[in-house]
Amino acid sequence: MTSRSTRERPSGFRNPWLQLVLSVACVLVSELLLKRGASDIAHLGSSWSWTGINGLTSPLVWLAIVFVIASFITWLYVLKYIPLSIAFPLSRVVDALVPLCSWIFLGETISSRRWMGIALVVIGLAVIAKPVARMEERL
Amino acid sequence: MTWWSFSLILTSLITFVAGQLLLKKGMELTTHSSRNARRFGSFIVGGIVAMTISFFLTLGLLQRFDLSYLYPFQGLSVVLIAIAAAATLREKITPKLAIGSLLISAGIVLVSLS
Repeated sequence: MTSRSTRERPSGFRNPWLQLVLSVACVLVSELLLKRGASDIAHLGSSWSWTGINGLTSPLVWLAIVFVIASFITWLYVLKYIPLSIAFPLSRVVDALVPLCSWIFLGETISSRRWMGIALVVIGLAVIAKPVARMEERL
Repeated sequence: MTWWSFSLILTSLITFVAGQLLLKKGMELTTHSSRNARRFGSFIVGGIVAMTISFFLTLGLLQRFDLSYLYPFQGLSVVLIAIAAAATLREKITPKLAIGSLLISAGIVLVSLS
């Protein structure tokens, strides 16, 4: 079933759904690295600190930048195959994952209101992902 | 909140959404013929320019407002992108997609208000 509208989708590593997962994972890792890196070198008194440019002295920030670039490239690849109105909402899983990982890896606390927000994001993702998964199976 | 800061927040949102649409449009061209190299380039460059404007507007806003105040507006981007993709890219918005997008938006607003 490969008409022009339902384009042939590569499988294996080039599967666009796998690339979407990779893109989200890269965003997540970059956010955590940026926070770690920024905290490591924080000198709030210095006159340049408000620009964030002094963050470039941290190796973790540079590693984070590599992940940001990787997430952008994989995101472009995702856009080639998956409708924006599906890919973009799914990519917002990071809004649930970043607070969760900040809790697990950075020891930050999560308020009850934030837990509710995480739950809503997950429910919304499930509502979108379920029909998409069924549609993909049929193809 | 003044009208000025409100319009800045709005502009940063609109440029972000426009950037995503332009990138999507550019990447769609790559699946058809290879003759569209110049159009592809202008869409991708346009997308990157729009995202860059949005990035620096947000950076400026962050210096004046708390992240927890600004981030809920980012939550709206999910709904805005679904509407804009339906309008300009003729993507189909099913009821489930609409409900899911609204739930995610609401969730992002709750996560950022703490």
